[in-house]
Amino acid sequence: MHLLILLFAPVNFIDELLLRFFSRDVVNYVVWPFIQIGLVVTITAGWVAYATYLERKISAFMQARLGPMRVGPWGLLQPIADGIKLLTKEDFIPEKADRWIFFFAPYIAVAAAFVVMVVIPFAPDWGVITDVNIGLLFVLAVSSVGVLALILAGWSSNSKYALLGGLRSSAQMVSYEVAMGLSLIGGLMFARTLSLSGVVYAQATDTIWFVLYQPVGFLIFLVSGIAENNRAPFDLPEAESELVAGFHTEYSGFRWSLFFMAEYAAMVVVSAVAVTMYLGGWYFPFVYGLTEARGYHNLYVIVSLFIFIAKLLGVLYLYFWLRWTLPRFRYDQLMDIGWKWLIPSALINIGLTAIAIVIVQGLDGWRGMNTIESMSNGLNLTATGKGLMIFFGLLGLVITGLLLSQINWRSRDFNLKSQRRNIRLVNVPQGKPAVASTASARE
Amino acid sequence: MPLVKVPKPKFIDKVKRFFLSDLLKGLGLTLKYNIGALTDRDSVAGKGIYTEQYPKVRPEVAPRFHGAPRLNMDPETHETLCIACNLCALACPEDCIDVLAMDVEIVVAGKPRRKKVLDEFIFDTSRCMFCALCQEACPTSCLELTQDFELATYSRAGFVWNREMLEQGRETVKYLS
Repeated sequence: MHLLILLFAPVNFIDELLLRFFSRDVVNYVVWPFIQIGLVVTITAGWVAYATYLERKISAFMQARLGPMRVGPWGLLQPIADGIKLLTKEDFIPEKADRWIFFFAPYIAVAAAFVVMVVIPFAPDWGVITDVNIGLLFVLAVSSVGVLALILAGWSSNSKYALLGGLRSSAQMVSYEVAMGLSLIGGLMFARTLSLSGVVYAQATDTIWFVLYQPVGFLIFLVSGIAENNRAPFDLPEAESELVAGFHTEYSGFRWSLFFMAEYAAMVVVSAVAVTMYLGGWYFPFVYGLTEARGYHNLYVIVSLFIFIAKLLGVLYLYFWLRWTLPRFRYDQLMDIGWKWLIPSALINIGLTAIAIVIVQGLDGWRGMNTIESMSNGLNLTATGKGLMIFFGLLGLVITGLLLSQINWRSRDFNLKSQRRNIRLVNVPQGKPAVASTASARE
Repeated sequence: MPLVKVPKPKFIDKVKRFFLSDLLKGLGLTLKYNIGALTDRDSVAGKGIYTEQYPKVRPEVAPRFHGAPRLNMDPETHETLCIACNLCALACPEDCIDVLAMDVEIVVAGKPRRKKVLDEFIFDTSRCMFCALCQEACPTSCLELTQDFELATYSRAGFVWNREMLEQGRETVKYLS
């Protein structure tokens, strides 16, 4: 144990060293943030490289293959070889392309994906770069700028495939951004703050993960997050079988790899928000009691960091898992899911959560029942309140499903139905079943 | 009423659809493959991974596989077993074997005699269809089709094997790890 403390002592040591050269304010607000940003950017860039390796390996295992095996042991150096290949390739720009927009679109994509990392609480204390009190709004706002880059790239390439990819991505953004934002509101009712650190603290003081209160919200957020990242099964903007490569058809070399980095970084961001909002962030039972309460502060931060990363990897595995399980949706199915299922269910979820909170608050003090502990750090419930809330969450799952299937069962397969109606109206008397053979219909 | 007859879903089908049972089934299948690959990773054509690491690990061919030809030697004296009888060349349906013999003077029981021995053996693998009729015709089990399957060369001339290549075997590139 003492060895571990020695291992994590350098954080305080560096702090003291910096204080010899700078004042306290400069160290706290300039030097440390720079160190944190540097670390996060390096680690995320490294992650992006190794996410490709992970994805190739996992997809290979799911198809009973081995994946990359030649470069280094178990192919571990493959991402480095790929990176060298991409960096040394020709940076080709089409003659008819809109040159400047074509230049800058990849940078917008990367910046939008990386800037969001600044508000994500990777761990308590020095694990957060900055704790903005509108953190969640910031995440939603900036991550939708990333889609602008795809539209610009698709437009400036001056190619029909790229343009179609860009158009599809813009339509997809409009349909799924709404559901994504609405699904978060249910969780925010419990946290009572928009700061992402505050959300984690609300879960830590409540000793619960919000996914138990908000199963509907979690599902909506996951689906719309996958759609937001243009990952399979929602990868219509870069559908290989239809659009060559979608919006980055004309890109090559370094600029193409920037789009790739942006995609994987955006995946990390969405999974990080999912982990923070629904899976408790860096909070895990017993960690606080074993480390911070006994005075091992830095150990606490680092253990929390690893817990966060483990949860993140779990959510990211879900991305790969879904990619190799589901085929790509048709375009009208994509719009169906967005507008007919996700947005209404997010709205129903908000209503049901509000009703559940009102009921739980009303039950507090009714016939000696005690449901609410405090309202200081989010909505803290007692064991009874938690049980009630989890029950209401599961009930919400069933109610939302039943309600939506009742609403949508007539409008399912909308296109097919209209086609059928057109076929039926030709020479077929109203109210009688159509006959499949054409000969009898003509008589 | 649609033109195509669609069976009306039963209640149990509706329940299955409501709980996304098909999606869960698919996820279970991919997870099963993933776990199988992780726990059983060295197996080939087993439950886990089907990939053969070819240049690194050579696949085992079937016992009756016919590959590169070879002229066998007497294991003790290291002289060729071929008696230049030309039966293999006669048996070959593709006419790809040429046996060139020569006479040597030997002394048998004090009298000078002439003996027919093998001088050169030409085997054209580009025309060979690996039927192994030559192998069956050989009375001394000298000519044999081995299990070696790496026969590719850079030129047409490389397909014609002479006696030395047939006896020593051809050198193939060995890959390191």
